[in-house]
Amino acid sequence: MIPAIDIEGLSHVYGGAEGAVAALEDVSLSVAAGRFTVIVGPSGCGKTSLLMMLAGLRAQSRGAIRVLGGPMPAPDPLRVGVIFQEASLYPWLTALENVEFPLSLRGTPKPDCRKRAGAMLELVGLSGFGERYPHELSGGMKQRVSIARGLVQDPPVLLMDEPFAALDEQTRMTMGHELLRIWSTTSKTVVFITHSLTEAVYLADEVLVMSARPGRIIDRIEVPLPRPRSYDMMATDVFGRLRDRIWQQIRKSEA
Amino acid sequence: MTRSSPALVRRSILAALLVAWELVPRTGLLPELFLPSLSSTLSVLWNDWQTYGRALLVTLYEVAFAMVIACGGGILAGAVVGGFARLRNLLLPVVSSLYAVPIVILYPVFTAWFGVGSESKIAFAGIYAFFPVMLSTAAGIQTIDPQFLLAARSMGASLPQQIARVIIPASLPTVFAGLRLGGALAIIGVVVSEMLTAAAGIGYLVTLNRTILDSPRVFAAILMILLLSIAYYLLSRAIERRFVVWQSVGKPLQPAQSTV
Repeated sequence: MIPAIDIEGLSHVYGGAEGAVAALEDVSLSVAAGRFTVIVGPSGCGKTSLLMMLAGLRAQSRGAIRVLGGPMPAPDPLRVGVIFQEASLYPWLTALENVEFPLSLRGTPKPDCRKRAGAMLELVGLSGFGERYPHELSGGMKQRVSIARGLVQDPPVLLMDEPFAALDEQTRMTMGHELLRIWSTTSKTVVFITHSLTEAVYLADEVLVMSARPGRIIDRIEVPLPRPRSYDMMATDVFGRLRDRIWQQIRKSEA
Repeated sequence: MTRSSPALVRRSILAALLVAWELVPRTGLLPELFLPSLSSTLSVLWNDWQTYGRALLVTLYEVAFAMVIACGGGILAGAVVGGFARLRNLLLPVVSSLYAVPIVILYPVFTAWFGVGSESKIAFAGIYAFFPVMLSTAAGIQTIDPQFLLAARSMGASLPQQIARVIIPASLPTVFAGLRLGGALAIIGVVVSEMLTAAAGIGYLVTLNRTILDSPRVFAAILMILLLSIAYYLLSRAIERRFVVWQSVGKPLQPAQSTV
């Protein structure tokens, strides 16, 4: 079976001849369909660049990217959905219209848009909030709308760039748990970037640790915790050891 | 004791000012020559409404054309300059420093070119308001969140879709700010130029009556300009509220209680 995501020898260099900065160096990885993969690493290690390339939003300098067997020369929302750090909802559209947005870009008939977007809002627990504008929603609710928007075209692959970074700790934990619930009903392949080690272990099937710039993958850690995950697991020895191992790796890479 | 609402306080201040306007000259605190009473000012407007109405029409006509230059041209030019980094770096410093020049010194030149009729007022007020509108639009366009476009691209938006569905709606608040500013400055520009050299318009009535020391008539004209500016401001705010619901220009809406 072909992996959902396959990256080979990916490198990326920014800027011109003199101010060239190597952002990524020889990154190779493959993610099986339906897996939840979390990428952690120090700030500026090229995690976001990697995600942008996977989304077809940025070109790589060298190497090959295949998503569901094909290259990603440009964004393809039917294969890959992206959820950004700031919810990046359009403030002039209601929650429902924001979720409809990607559908309407493709000329989906209005009633069809309504129905699918409504169903997505229900999935993320926001039925009844469709007519609200983003500034009338809390941070967590905005990010739920953003997730609904990422899911509405039903892409098999979902990329998430620190989606909960702007939320407070409590909301963040709840949203992580919610995301796992939604994920378990949709069987997507997820690549999730975070700074939070706890979040990484809690969410992931596998954690990839990246080094400081130029970004390389320096460790792959399987998370053997059973699903569905529960908050009690955070107190277990296994959880603590995994988190510690990731922490050690990141520290080593920065030293 | 209940706290009085800001609206009530505002209305009370306005009412107090109007009462003071009537009482200060009547009690002789200030001579009528310096400040004619509200009632004598209003009676001029009432008795001589044809003269003032005609002057208002001339002024409105000039303001309308000046606004087309200032707002139409200023918003378009600002959008183009603000939208392209290279153009911005090239032009903005020049425009900003030009902006510091008091453009009113050019007005005599404009009367030489366009005559003392409406054309010179339109040209002067149009250019007077053009640069601030252009600068504010250019600044506003730059503040559009690049994440909006990145998200649109990730959802498969083509370039025309990005412009129509993201850039244009995201610029609306800037465009309306430009309209408000441009209209206000166009009114100033027209009235000032009418006061300097003209044979018609409200600004002309101010100058004409001041030279013959007819204070109630001067103040009647001033009152009209004041009302014109306020009316324009209220109208532009109403239109803005209608189109830019999400900006919550008035009271910010309470964010919903979080359920997460």
